Amino acid sequence: MSRFCRPDWRSRSAALMLLPVCALLGGCMADQPRPLDGINRQLEASGSGNRAPSLSGRWLALITSRGNREVIDLVDLESGRPVPMAGLNRPDAEPLAVSVDGSGRRLALIRQRDGRTELVLHRLDVGASEPIAITPAGVPEQVALSADGRILAVQVSREGHSQIDLITLP
Amino acid sequence: MASVLFSLAACTPVRQAAPSLGLGTETRLEPALSGDGRLLASLLVRDGRTTVVLQERQTGRLLALAHLQRNQPHHSPSLSWNGRYLALISQQGERRLAVIEDRATGQLHPLPLPPGQEVQRLSLAPDASRLAMEVSRGGLSRVLIFDLRPRLEPDLPPGQSVSGGGLP
Repeated sequence: MSRFCRPDWRSRSAALMLLPVCALLGGCMADQPRPLDGINRQLEASGSGNRAPSLSGRWLALITSRGNREVIDLVDLESGRPVPMAGLNRPDAEPLAVSVDGSGRRLALIRQRDGRTELVLHRLDVGASEPIAITPAGVPEQVALSADGRILAVQVSREGHSQIDLITLP
Repeated sequence: MASVLFSLAACTPVRQAAPSLGLGTETRLEPALSGDGRLLASLLVRDGRTTVVLQERQTGRLLALAHLQRNQPHHSPSLSWNGRYLALISQQGERRLAVIEDRATGQLHPLPLPPGQEVQRLSLAPDASRLAMEVSRGGLSRVLIFDLRPRLEPDLPPGQSVSGGGLP
């Protein structure tokens, strides 16, 4: 709802005058999605910028600019709190893309490390990461993990073309 | 730790290419899976147009989309649990607009942002309760979360009931 339609607007008389205009404009932008202000303020305060969101269940994974580097954050949207992720954000790696499953126990990510781009599956419940080989060889660019945590869809660049690989996880 | 690494390494992932659309060398981008992994949405680049396509993951069968064959280029598709909802970014003149197609009702839900903000990337929660948008404003990227519950019915896994509402 736009500020012109808020019932607590200071001037009731002016608001009444605007009502027909709002109606003509299709509900005064009532179609705008409703932001979750509390969590959005927390996200803004968590770094100098953030990008590449992945929502699943109560979890939000995203890439946050913090200091001079980017890191992967996982936020519990029910509590509004970040989830500690031991062993995921390596100082020698730069995250490019991330996707979380609905249980919040599996994260798939693409990162650059040692001059290579790699696809990694991270298990939060045990704090372990495992690279997933791209076969035939290619450069992973985007990743999507199904909410049930069983399927990975990966955009892979091979010989100048982007293709999609599907990987069934054990 | 050793046992964990062993368990990860011992189970080899099973790979396959995404089902082809029979168009020769296809450029396919930005994959998205339904929550149950049954459906795959992706962007197909053909004749200079970038258009979303929706397929059954295992058979490759194409599924129709009522409203999403125009307003290209499309970006950042995202699917709900059963694939009832497909969210993406479409082009509306000079601006990008986030939209959600409800495949059950055929409705298209536009999600306009206030002036000065441009949507760059989307992620729809599998139950369709929330939408995350990466927006750019003044050269900075921010992620904003929006509540969709007043507007969309939930799209839940089979057997999962909607919580809240009604008398005990």
